[in-house]
Amino acid sequence: MKRGELQINLATNIAIISMSMLFATLFMGYAIYRSSAPVWPPMGMMKISLLLPTLSTIVIFISSFFCYFTTANIKKNDFSQARRNLNYSILLGVSFIFLQCLIWSHMKSIGLYTHSGIFASITYALTWIHAAHMIAGLIALVYLKKILKPETSNLIPKAKNIENFWYFLEIVWIVMFLTLFVF
Amino acid sequence: MSGGFNEIHPEPTTFFSKYIISYDHKVIAKQFLWYGIFFLGVGGMMALLIRWTLANPGVPFPVLGNLFFSNSGGVVPPDTYAMLFTMHGTIMIFYAITPILIGAFGNYCIPLMIGARDMAFPMLNMLSFWFAFLSGVVLLASFFLPLGAAAGGWTSYPTLSTMIGSPGAGQTLWCVAIFLFGISSTMGAVNYVTTVITLRAPGMGYFDMPLTIWGLWLTAILNAIFVPVLGAGVILLTLDRVFGTTFFLAGASATSGSGDPVLFQHVFWIFGHPEVYILILPAWGIVSDLLSFFSRKPAFGAKATALSMTAVTVLSTLVYGHHMFTTQMSPLLTQSFMTLTMTISIPSAIFFANWLGTIWKGSIRFDSPMLFSLGVVFVFGLGGLTGLHLGTVTTDLYLHDTYFVVGHFHYTMAASVLLGGFAGIYFWFPKMFGKMMNETLAKIHFWGTMIPLNGIFFGMLMMGYAGMHRRIYNPFVYESLRRLIPVNNIVTTSAMLMGVFQLIFVYNFIRSLRKGPKAVNNPWNVGTLEWTIPSPPVHHNYDEIPVVRCGPHELGNPNLKNGRDFQYQTEELVKG
Repeated sequence: MKRGELQINLATNIAIISMSMLFATLFMGYAIYRSSAPVWPPMGMMKISLLLPTLSTIVIFISSFFCYFTTANIKKNDFSQARRNLNYSILLGVSFIFLQCLIWSHMKSIGLYTHSGIFASITYALTWIHAAHMIAGLIALVYLKKILKPETSNLIPKAKNIENFWYFLEIVWIVMFLTLFVF
Repeated sequence: MSGGFNEIHPEPTTFFSKYIISYDHKVIAKQFLWYGIFFLGVGGMMALLIRWTLANPGVPFPVLGNLFFSNSGGVVPPDTYAMLFTMHGTIMIFYAITPILIGAFGNYCIPLMIGARDMAFPMLNMLSFWFAFLSGVVLLASFFLPLGAAAGGWTSYPTLSTMIGSPGAGQTLWCVAIFLFGISSTMGAVNYVTTVITLRAPGMGYFDMPLTIWGLWLTAILNAIFVPVLGAGVILLTLDRVFGTTFFLAGASATSGSGDPVLFQHVFWIFGHPEVYILILPAWGIVSDLLSFFSRKPAFGAKATALSMTAVTVLSTLVYGHHMFTTQMSPLLTQSFMTLTMTISIPSAIFFANWLGTIWKGSIRFDSPMLFSLGVVFVFGLGGLTGLHLGTVTTDLYLHDTYFVVGHFHYTMAASVLLGGFAGIYFWFPKMFGKMMNETLAKIHFWGTMIPLNGIFFGMLMMGYAGMHRRIYNPFVYESLRRLIPVNNIVTTSAMLMGVFQLIFVYNFIRSLRKGPKAVNNPWNVGTLEWTIPSPPVHHNYDEIPVVRCGPHELGNPNLKNGRDFQYQTEELVKG
């Protein structure tokens, strides 16, 4: 492995470990709150409808596929196809953020405000923090679009690591989807 | 991966690119150094205000009192007192020690000591400083708010730190500042770890790295893993304060689900205990090297020292519960945390014994870096030993929240780190600025620091053992504590004295920068890579990337015939 590639891989992996610790702390807090509550969601609170979270999951899942194909195209030197797949990935990423806004709007409509207790606190905090990371991920994808030229040095490791970051965000979302909304 | 090639970056030409948004690790190191020294002054001034108040309650602070507290006739008011100890802790830990030990020495030493031309990611390095700068501005801005800066203790425990305990925006800005500083630290950590792994000079294995680099590298690993934990904590605290969430507010659990104030303590100390080692590891590394350099002997058991520091790093992640023995933790947990805490004594004792082994029968040169390093050995020894009382559940229940705790942690992470930091500054100043500092003034500074420092912190241990609690505005309203007034006076007088002696350091630093004699390439006669190049180094550090052929502590080799008692790391080891 070349030095540049190793450096990019290491830096991304360390950054992902750091972010994993942030989310792990949040999930630890969630586990403690939930396990110490007599009922969940607490009395008088409705469960959030699964429709929008499920749609979000499908959207981020497909977006990751396009991200995967982008890197595969770059490896084959097919830059026009890579650009197209990257555009789809970005578009789906933006759609995910839009769906998150709909989830927050839905939460308000069923009376779940930020000050409505720990159930709402957890749901808002995790989705907000994840959405902030998604925006960082989208910026990374737009950056990849900007450098998507054959002459860019270390293009494949850069694309691969941005793809890995996108997967990381997808995995965090899936854990959130299962623990916050499904079970 | 060692070996290979580092590119030479073009030298900046404008003032702005050379000194402000510089990508050069040496300039960024100096930026962190100025930043840290500035905040060291601010935090130190706060310490004096705190100490004055404790020894002379109700008496105006001399000279500056009327300037700061005109409404109360120069006396520190009670709410300001809480703000002072909160911000003193915050500033010293995050804004003074971290920038100097990690920001300045990390940036300066890592590339130079491993034979690299710069950090792996110079732009990220630049951003790391400016995030820290922004964080410092936010923190300082909080002093000018209507209700002042944060006042819930540097640990910011809820409910003291929620809107109930701290109604102003000061605590919110504290959270924002700490989060920004966390981003800066994480950026630095990514860079340090990657640089050490990928940019070591050809021939430099991990055990050929100076122990300074080991300390900084392990610190960076801890930073990358545990700073985000505090990040999560302060985000949730901010949400509680700004958006009305209830993470740390206990409530009616059946109807709204209950928040949990103690959860913040867990989150804080999961980060907080490794943070202690984040601060001390660079100082341990520096001292381990300097003791060898100035004893003119190889570091005794250098490999064992490196591995012990690694073991401490790993263990530091498993012991945080000893900060929370009094939170009604299950006895099973307290016993487990106690046992794990005691386990840290083993690797600590190994490298401590190695320090003694290093100086044993050495040809010791009592230059200022060595004096400060020996100071670290003494104060860290005391700090470590007093830790045993606090790591043991039965004694901690009595000593918890007393001045014994304050004395203990100041010995370990203030005195040791401060002295280690001074040792580093006196040692690398010639390389950084190309000038020598005045040795006589440096020695006066050492004794003027070392003696009062022990007066302060040993006094604190005694007061705590006698039952004086920390964070009390005027302990002498309690009859039982009145007999401690003389000890408090000794501590405060020592603190004032130590403060005055720091002016000698500032004078020496500035005077040496302007008028100090020119430093030669290797004024201390040691063999690590940074001393093979001119003082100060050129922009790209090394014209040719050095090839490492021996370890960093090859001193006093009896087979040496060239009139030197040391070997450069670029030289083949001379054998008999």
